[in-house]
Amino acid sequence: MSDLDEFKATYFDECSELLLELEEQFAAIEEGDRDSERLNAVFRAIHSIKGGGGAFGFDGLVKFAHSFETLLDYVRDGRVELTEEVVTLCIRSVDIVADFVNAARNGDTLPAEYGASEKASFDALARGEAAETEAGAGESDEDSMDEFDIDFTPVSVDLSADKPLSDLPVSPDGESSWLITFTPFPTLYERANDPLLLFRELALLGSIEVTATLGGLPTLDQFDPFGVYCSWTIALTSDKASEEAIREVFEFVDGDCEITVEKQAGAPAAEITEPDDLPSFADLAEEAKAERKFVPTGEPDADSAPAAPAAPAADVGAPTPVRPVTPAAANGVSSAAASEEANGGRAVGMQSIRVDLDKVDRVVNMVGELVITQSMLTQQMDDAIRDRYQELVRGIEVLAQTTRGLQDAVMAIRAQPVKSVFSRMPRLVRELAAKTGKKIKLETIGENTEIDKTVIEQLSDPLTHMVRNSADHGIEGLENRLASGKPETGTIRLSAEQAGGNILIVVEDDGQGINRERVLEIGRERGIVGPDQQLTDEQIDNLIFAPGFSTASEISDISGRGVGMDVVLSNIKKIGGSVHVRSWPGKGTRMTLRLPLTLAVLDVMLVKVAGSPYVIPLSSIVETIQNSRADFGHMPSGGKVLQVRGEYVQVVDLARRFEMVTDQTDDNRFVVLCEAEGNSKVALVVDDIIGQQQVVIKSLEENFERINGIAGGTILGDGNVALIVDVQSLKTGHAHQNAA
Amino acid sequence: MRVLTVDDSRTILAMLHHTLTNAGFEVLQAENGQLGLDVLAREEVDVVITDINMPVMDGIEFIKNVRATGKHQSLPILILTTETSQDKRDQGRAAGGTGWIVKPFDPEKLISVINKVVH
Repeated sequence: MSDLDEFKATYFDECSELLLELEEQFAAIEEGDRDSERLNAVFRAIHSIKGGGGAFGFDGLVKFAHSFETLLDYVRDGRVELTEEVVTLCIRSVDIVADFVNAARNGDTLPAEYGASEKASFDALARGEAAETEAGAGESDEDSMDEFDIDFTPVSVDLSADKPLSDLPVSPDGESSWLITFTPFPTLYERANDPLLLFRELALLGSIEVTATLGGLPTLDQFDPFGVYCSWTIALTSDKASEEAIREVFEFVDGDCEITVEKQAGAPAAEITEPDDLPSFADLAEEAKAERKFVPTGEPDADSAPAAPAAPAADVGAPTPVRPVTPAAANGVSSAAASEEANGGRAVGMQSIRVDLDKVDRVVNMVGELVITQSMLTQQMDDAIRDRYQELVRGIEVLAQTTRGLQDAVMAIRAQPVKSVFSRMPRLVRELAAKTGKKIKLETIGENTEIDKTVIEQLSDPLTHMVRNSADHGIEGLENRLASGKPETGTIRLSAEQAGGNILIVVEDDGQGINRERVLEIGRERGIVGPDQQLTDEQIDNLIFAPGFSTASEISDISGRGVGMDVVLSNIKKIGGSVHVRSWPGKGTRMTLRLPLTLAVLDVMLVKVAGSPYVIPLSSIVETIQNSRADFGHMPSGGKVLQVRGEYVQVVDLARRFEMVTDQTDDNRFVVLCEAEGNSKVALVVDDIIGQQQVVIKSLEENFERINGIAGGTILGDGNVALIVDVQSLKTGHAHQNAA
Repeated sequence: MRVLTVDDSRTILAMLHHTLTNAGFEVLQAENGQLGLDVLAREEVDVVITDINMPVMDGIEFIKNVRATGKHQSLPILILTTETSQDKRDQGRAAGGTGWIVKPFDPEKLISVINKVVH
């Protein structure tokens, strides 16, 4: 990757963050929050996008952002009123900026008129108000935009060379002589400018002879170290100087000094002699040292303090080239800088670093392996070892704790707040409301809840789909809402919370609820539900996630797009989560996503079935019961149920389910009561319970193929492979046929 | 020679870093004025380059604060800004800014401006 590409990548990363912030800030502004810090923040964000864009020559983006920024500047200082129309215009324009950024990222060109009407609105708004206070401000800003055409090409500059740094155009009339008078004001020094440096800069133009005028120098008892007593006359002989070039040298001290520049008609530099009736500077300095109060605040560069240039003219005006840095210093610095560069420079003031995700994942994987090794060591410790090697045992216990801590710390690196996904939703809801003509309000709760980065990335699509579904099918039209006595504005509530080892994300609406008759009808039509099959309300509701449920007849402009909620389910399953819907007719619908906190490590219960180890995710286990104490009942169909606290739970014998033969007698086996989605339970019958541990999940799909009832595999401490039981699919899968 | 760069834009910080290290400078970075002051409190630098528009503490406040400490009265401070409309630049100078650099900066120009204000 070239340097430029790298800068661009940084820039686009930064743009994504800034655009996200813009959306958030404007969402709050739209709600009526006019906090000045918010207005400053949106101004800064657009300003940064423009600034970086200018460096890469993204002209369209820069021009649009410039008009946007100008308006925001006027808004924040009150010159333009932030009306609802202006907010709407801004929100729309954030999208346009996003499009410009995306086009730049992909190397596409947007049509020339893209965003033109918004830009025109900005300019008109800015002009309309600005005309009264600052005539022509808009125009001069527009002109200055030409400066943004510079392409950024990094160059290396050799500082140790004695060559002038700027190649100024040769003046057409050959060698010329100039007489410059220069009288600094105290403000010049207050801004850390230094006459010596200005002379050095002038010397780059040609040969100079500097003469100090010390007429105003007081006697030592009157001398104020911060006072300004000197002025200078400089005779410049140059073959390339122009008045413009000379004035440019004094650019930074404009207003902080009095300056005249006169071209001499071929005459040699004027002879100005130093008045010799004054004490020499060396004498002054000696006395100043003796009386400490004259030493200017212990500054190392006392020689550049106001009195300094009183040194004999020859010292300053010597025609020898002035080196910006002495060679020794330059060498010292460049070797130091080279080593700094290798590690990306010193970021003393930074509070965060950016790390490639691959590097984090390598750490996560290694920590995963470490966890396994540690649990293997723990397993190997029998009582004999515990008695004999107490120190070793203590060490391994500490290792276990540290490993656990390390694992949490590494997971925290990958964790990010769900905010980044949630913050895309206000815009979506706004668009949906506009399209459907409904009034919809979005509430978000718990947006700082953190989840693994990979989970977050996979979350965006399903969540978008669920919110679309709520806005489209859930919330009723205005008339229907009023007719059923509901407030005109429908509410979609998006919330996130951590519950044990899971994150729950809930999308709730106060709409009409799922039309169960219609859903069941479709389910039967599509053959998803058998003709005689009786379903509970909850089962009917969850049919919307069944593959093939969505049909052309219900694809609307909004939630349609040819995919149904089954895609939501399969996306969520891919990241080890589950989804469940509950609906209350006439009152609303609640969809709950259950996601794992992390994808890498799982707390499990290790069990044995027909001699092979299996693991069951601990998060889904409610309790374990000895078979002999379990209260089984038999169904007329031959299936078995478990009665727990008045509830009948479907029983799945894992040995039978996985078509294996167990030699364990029924009474010696165990029932593991698990909770599947939506509080529904399933009782798994296993041969033995071995214990609890952590495992690193290995995908079966990547290494073999998907198996119904199995969520993945893992390698145990002793090297054996154990399969991870997929509780949810055992419950909903071909459970009836396999029930014991 | 050590340069402190203060800017809330990572892109700009990265570009400054690249250009300045290539030219043999040692580069320190801070993301806003407050962090810039923190750096100055414990590090010696030869020149400061600062953005104006930043969160927490903007460039103007930053410059005022730097000048308020006796130690840094003659530390050159360059204002880095896209504000081509004179007023921000003037505010920066009034606060004690030594000179300015217009974004987007030409690398060679950047170095020459720095050389204009440091010994």
